[in-house]
Amino acid sequence: MQLKRKASTSIGASLAAATAGLLGQSPGRAIAQELAPWEYDTAILLYSESDNRVRDVSLNLDARKEVREEAFLNLKLAIDTLTGASPSGAAPANTVQTFTTPSGGSTFDIAAGEQVLDPSFLDTRTALAANYDFPLGRFTRFDLGLSLSDEYDYSHSGVNMKLDRDFDNRNTTFTFGLALANDSIDPVGGAPIGLAPMTATGGNKQGDQSKDVTDILLGVTQVLNRHSLVQFNVSLSESDGYQTDPYKILSVVDPVTGNPVIAPPLNGLPYLYRYENRPDTRDKQSIYGLYKRDIGGNVFDVSYRYMTDDWDVDSHTIDLHYRWNLESGSYLQPHLRFYSQTAAGFYHSVLFNGTPLPDFASADYRLSEFDGLTLGIKFGRETRRGEMSGRLEIYQQTGSASPGSQVGSLQSFDLNPGLEAIIAQFSYKFGG
Amino acid sequence: MRKGKGLLALLAVGALGAAAAGCSGLGVQPWDRDVLARDDMQLVSDPVEAALDEHIYFSKEASSGGQGFGGGGCGCN
Repeated sequence: MQLKRKASTSIGASLAAATAGLLGQSPGRAIAQELAPWEYDTAILLYSESDNRVRDVSLNLDARKEVREEAFLNLKLAIDTLTGASPSGAAPANTVQTFTTPSGGSTFDIAAGEQVLDPSFLDTRTALAANYDFPLGRFTRFDLGLSLSDEYDYSHSGVNMKLDRDFDNRNTTFTFGLALANDSIDPVGGAPIGLAPMTATGGNKQGDQSKDVTDILLGVTQVLNRHSLVQFNVSLSESDGYQTDPYKILSVVDPVTGNPVIAPPLNGLPYLYRYENRPDTRDKQSIYGLYKRDIGGNVFDVSYRYMTDDWDVDSHTIDLHYRWNLESGSYLQPHLRFYSQTAAGFYHSVLFNGTPLPDFASADYRLSEFDGLTLGIKFGRETRRGEMSGRLEIYQQTGSASPGSQVGSLQSFDLNPGLEAIIAQFSYKFGG
Repeated sequence: MRKGKGLLALLAVGALGAAAAGCSGLGVQPWDRDVLARDDMQLVSDPVEAALDEHIYFSKEASSGGQGFGGGGCGCN
């Protein structure tokens, strides 16, 4: 008897929910339902470049809670510990080279023929973000957010908002997003004066710097059919302020022999190097498209992004995943990503002695012409309380030196040797 | 400026495409959303992994953003 009564209550609840659904109401209104509990998404990531270059260990926690009906609070915490050596921008030479550490407190030597890596790279970054995502009427969602991050020499604060509006039975969604950020940079030893010579005592530097970044995103998502959807976005980004990397330099070489040029007296270093200098504005525009499809219970997605900016960087990115859902809630997901960019107009592998200094110059490999390739595999499985997953990926960059830079002795060196890195991540989701 | 106009044109084409899609019988009825409602069919199915990748590629390449905002907020070397 009792069993029967329970069953009928359950059927009654289902019917009420179904009726509410048909009437376009949330079932939560028909039946007093509890708000969804906290859900946690945790991850530890190791990013490690070969040749003892940059290594990042990143700890991440995302927590999400329904605080009002259909309104969610999202909190994020990330802590990154960075160690290793970073390319300074200076070119290899057929002689021992001596450089000053950013603080100006000491110098270090690089052997003949070796890539110039600054070994003093060490930082911890803490980032916090909070977002509140809530409905405005039946067809609109609003997301308001704050972001903060802090490093030894860099701090960031930002606000962001996103509006999603559904049309056509929620098959079409228009998105508008806006993000504003203010970053301040307090480089170790001060921000160098652009293109000034590096000195043994860390001279030619000035105080703190800052920049403002505005991002705007317009997008549309369209459901195609029961198994597939597309997303299309246009983004604009404007940065205004200090964009130079205060730790990057360029070698000054003889235009015929390619050998480093002797520094002027009182400089304190044997050879001449100049601090890089970038424009103080940058406008970026991109278009992005995503196609996602269910194929017999598995999921295929492919995305493409084209980005262009007023530094003359154009890039193409293609990203592919195939999620192969196995029995018993496990999945295997291969990942392939292709990236290709042109060099910034002011990218120079070296500066030539005796020619007028350009207004802007950088030998940062990230502004060079290069191709990137990522290959990865991820395995995930359901657990009693959520999901755990692990992924392993390799990332490789293959770059080119700036045209005409490999003169004389520089012909025997690779001025843009690229990089290889491993990305390993373990994630655990629980709660909810 | 030339590039800005090109992008606006693309946006206009995209908006027209979407508007046309809205009228052309694309999409599904609410009771046919079982597949699209799955976690692995969401636009961003693993937000933490997406954010980590955005951070890595922002730090190592001259491009960022696209699907969402451009990441950033770091002096990444």
